[in-house]
Amino acid sequence: MSFLTVENIVKDFGGLVANNNISFSIDEGEIVGLIGPNGAGKTTLFNCIVGYHRPDSGRVAFRGKDITGFKPYKTNREGIGRTFQIMKVTTGMTVLENVMVGAFCRTNDRNTARSEALDVLGDLALDGVKDYYINELPIAIQRKVGLARALATKPALLMLDEVASGLNPTEIEEVVELLRRLNSAKKITLFLIEHIMEMVMKVSQRVIVLDYGEKIAEGLPADIVKNENVIKAYLGEKYAQGL
Amino acid sequence: MEKLKDALDFSDFSKAERIGLVIFSVFLLVFPLLGAGSFAKTVMIQFLLFSLFGMGWNTIGGYGGQVELGKAQYVGIGAYTVALMMVWWRVPFWISMPIGILIAVGYSFIIGYPLFRLKGHYFAIATICTSLVLKDIFDNWNLVGAAKGIELPIHDHPDFLYMQFKSDTYYYYFIMALFYIGLFYMNWFRKSKLGYQLRMIKDDEDAAESLGIDIRWCKIKAYSIASAFVAVGGGYITVYNLYVDPASTMELSLSIKIALMAMLGGAASLWGPIIGAAFLVPLDRFLGSWLGGQKGLTGIDFMIYSALIIVVSAYQPRGIWGIIEQFRKRGH
Repeated sequence: MSFLTVENIVKDFGGLVANNNISFSIDEGEIVGLIGPNGAGKTTLFNCIVGYHRPDSGRVAFRGKDITGFKPYKTNREGIGRTFQIMKVTTGMTVLENVMVGAFCRTNDRNTARSEALDVLGDLALDGVKDYYINELPIAIQRKVGLARALATKPALLMLDEVASGLNPTEIEEVVELLRRLNSAKKITLFLIEHIMEMVMKVSQRVIVLDYGEKIAEGLPADIVKNENVIKAYLGEKYAQGL
Repeated sequence: MEKLKDALDFSDFSKAERIGLVIFSVFLLVFPLLGAGSFAKTVMIQFLLFSLFGMGWNTIGGYGGQVELGKAQYVGIGAYTVALMMVWWRVPFWISMPIGILIAVGYSFIIGYPLFRLKGHYFAIATICTSLVLKDIFDNWNLVGAAKGIELPIHDHPDFLYMQFKSDTYYYYFIMALFYIGLFYMNWFRKSKLGYQLRMIKDDEDAAESLGIDIRWCKIKAYSIASAFVAVGGGYITVYNLYVDPASTMELSLSIKIALMAMLGGAASLWGPIIGAAFLVPLDRFLGSWLGGQKGLTGIDFMIYSALIIVVSAYQPRGIWGIIEQFRKRGH
């Protein structure tokens, strides 16, 4: 029994096949990267697993349980957390309140939720901004709040949609450190979409590559960079031949 | 116990707000002793009643951010339950009102379940429709008095069981008590799990769902809490007027007034509905009785009303309370 199993997922948006027959599996404790050019179907695949989209066919199983077509709130209660590529800039709740909502997922008591939220914020070094509203914060911190919010739901599998985009190299370095720490200290399995190759290759133990909705490669980061299909997908036919 | 403590705990408000609340409470308490006339008392009763309505609406409409324009149907359910049980079986108010709440909550689940498949404008329109349908049914249903309505038998002596009093002062203190129960409940509600989850839903539904929140269920729960609030108010209207008809309890304009008072005062804040009612109830009375009665000026009250709403919502969507907070932030 593997941790997360995705079998033959197909998602067709009225003729545009965003995910075509994608299968893979993730083991507990792994860090897996999902890469591919723009429009390759990465976010769609995330949404199919988490439940924002219902796949047209195929199966998703998490910890031995078939969760295909579960609504997002149900997959979350099964132990899958996710962050969003674009964090909605909202003005209604402070950072602490945001993270508390995440913690309320596992408790009904406000004081418990509050202390758990403070723990998570402390862990991510966000205690300084806990009383700010999201719209008052720079993008790097907003992303971290999104991450804290998801972490507060105590996920076993955390799916991160481009946590590092828009960050500068120092910030990326910090995120890499943070992800490694979450993985080793908190035993959270990570599955991340990333555009910044430097980061994916550094942090992932295994990489899956999508192009035009199909899985074109899977393997160790070192092998992926040499993979002909991957180079073709990113740089075009000509470059691949020229190599 | 913990819940009670939360309900009575106003410590997270600023000092100015707490002092304001105390002064306001003292004023409410001594108001009938100040020798006010019956008109002033009527206005104050309306004010407290609409604050209660507004607080109820604030759960789903303010914290949950759903534009709900059908609360009048639940006012009607509360009012009719009390009236009918009284007329048919002579059931005391203290039994019929809780039953009215239960019916309103049950009905709100039935209505809410399909209703919350809709979002935004479609939801708002659907809430108006369900309310209008119920009013039409009551307008034509002879068993419940149809459009004529029902008159309650008037007792010779003041009767606590049936909540019948000669003097408005009793009615005033009764609605004041309901108002405070509502206020304490809302003070608890805004700190509750549901309160937090609703605010998240209002901010970002997708994110809320990713945090394990069953959005539709949360909305239905808040909707039925709101319905319970206004059903209490409906029951109060019955014993206060000793008369119920569909036009006074289920009219669309009542639904809209409830929502507008809360929005004008400041949705998703504890004080919002109270401030909104404090502005609009006297204005409504004044415009309705003075300007509305003049020849050729019928309907001008609604025009002034609307203009006020447009100005406030354009300037500060968070209502009067939003404006106050803005000034306060600037002061710092």
